[in-house]
Amino acid sequence: MTILDLHSHSIKSDDGRAKVENYCQWIQKKELPLDGIVLTEHRQFDATSDYRDLEDRFGIAIMKASEVETDYGHVLVFGVNEDLVNEFDFARIDNSLATVLAAAQRCGAVAAPCHPGRVNVGLFAHYATKGPVPGVKLVEVYNGGSRPGEDEFSETEAAKYNYLGFGGSDSHIVSRIGYCATRFDDDITDITDLVAALKSERFEAVSFRS
Amino acid sequence: MSVDIQDLHQQWVGAECGSSSYDVNTDRLLAFANACGETDPRFIDPEDAEFQSTPGFTTIIVSGQGSEALPKDFPQFKGRSIDGGKSVEIHHPIRPGDTLTGKQTIADIYEKTGRSGKMVFVVHRTEFTNQDDQPVTTVDWRWITNLVED
Amino acid sequence: MRYSDVELGDELPTENPDVSMARIIQFVELTGWKFPRFTDHEFARAEGLPGAIVPGIMSQGLLAAMIHRWAPGCRIKKLDTVFRTPMVVDSQPVCSAAVTDCDDDTNTVELDITVVTEEGATSVLGTALVQFG
Repeated sequence: MTILDLHSHSIKSDDGRAKVENYCQWIQKKELPLDGIVLTEHRQFDATSDYRDLEDRFGIAIMKASEVETDYGHVLVFGVNEDLVNEFDFARIDNSLATVLAAAQRCGAVAAPCHPGRVNVGLFAHYATKGPVPGVKLVEVYNGGSRPGEDEFSETEAAKYNYLGFGGSDSHIVSRIGYCATRFDDDITDITDLVAALKSERFEAVSFRS
Repeated sequence: MSVDIQDLHQQWVGAECGSSSYDVNTDRLLAFANACGETDPRFIDPEDAEFQSTPGFTTIIVSGQGSEALPKDFPQFKGRSIDGGKSVEIHHPIRPGDTLTGKQTIADIYEKTGRSGKMVFVVHRTEFTNQDDQPVTTVDWRWITNLVED
Repeated sequence: MRYSDVELGDELPTENPDVSMARIIQFVELTGWKFPRFTDHEFARAEGLPGAIVPGIMSQGLLAAMIHRWAPGCRIKKLDTVFRTPMVVDSQPVCSAAVTDCDDDTNTVELDITVVTEEGATSVLGTALVQFG
């Protein structure tokens, strides 16, 4: 069993203010029930940072992914590889969701809309005006930055469309890490394991908000 | 017509916005400190040996300029602009009687979407020095607009 | 409060700052900002805001004051705040902070700083670098 925070930002994101080492220190000090975190930096894939030393020192899995922007809201992309970064421009704010989903599938990655319940800008707000998009299989139903009612709306809509739900803190500062997370049946130690686990559909969103 | 963000970035990042000058007096330091709920004597008691400005004091100098802080010929914006945040790094205390000079540049321009929809961020940087040419603060102002050229 | 008293994970006492209209008027008179979005609830709502809003840099000042009360005599070296959601004048926001890093070489601590609205939305988040001694 593995519990991972699937959505977090470091100082690599324009509005991130958390150093990854400080995330690790905080998780350890506060004894948070997390086996690892996934860094989902805005509009980029951070190919250069190497967190293996931190993983070894703290015993926490640190994986890298991306949060990209589409015509149906923001999307987390797990399993980014060289093929995928050449499929569409991660820096653009107007990517087509359909394009992102198809590209992820072709390249062996997983793309999943995040904070889908956000008013006006989330996936389900777009669905209300433009209809659903084929290819969505899982969405982030628990987001640590959600306002009251948004996660509940995400869960209801996800159930309506038969989407699986996962959780992530969407932390931009150290002390918000682990607010929400995802509990997997499988043991996960790296991004390859994570992508396989997301495709296996054996997981559930969990909230640790007090 | 929307502005191409890459063109905007290429054309304007690094551009200087001129400089400003500001005389620091006790009344203004006190007024800002009191308005922010300060209780530390260093900031509210002019008789304190360490009396000085609060950390954020120079941000009001920057904010007060509004869109005049931007370079001439910078594309005009329509609609509401909002303050996306400020960072201030403090190098040296600011005291009454100081004369500050602020050198201003455009540090970054990027776009993103969020709860307010599509937004363009202009990061405006002011480096303040005092009358002895000592750096006192560096202020980054993230100014958000839905930038549309006339 | 000395550096040796501080531990990673410590949470500062929270504060409910005064963001009443009287206080905001005091602030805007100082700055000379004649923007009714700060002092007129109806005008602000007509602009699409939830009400008259607290100026962002005032919220940064409120957080600095909280840090100074927690550690009198400390020196704030850096304050970095992201303004996310408007904070409404006359509301009851909560200022919080927590210690996220300690540097024994420089007697400096890093804090997460936040302001959360009475509806539970994060209005301001960021970090502060604070030096002791």
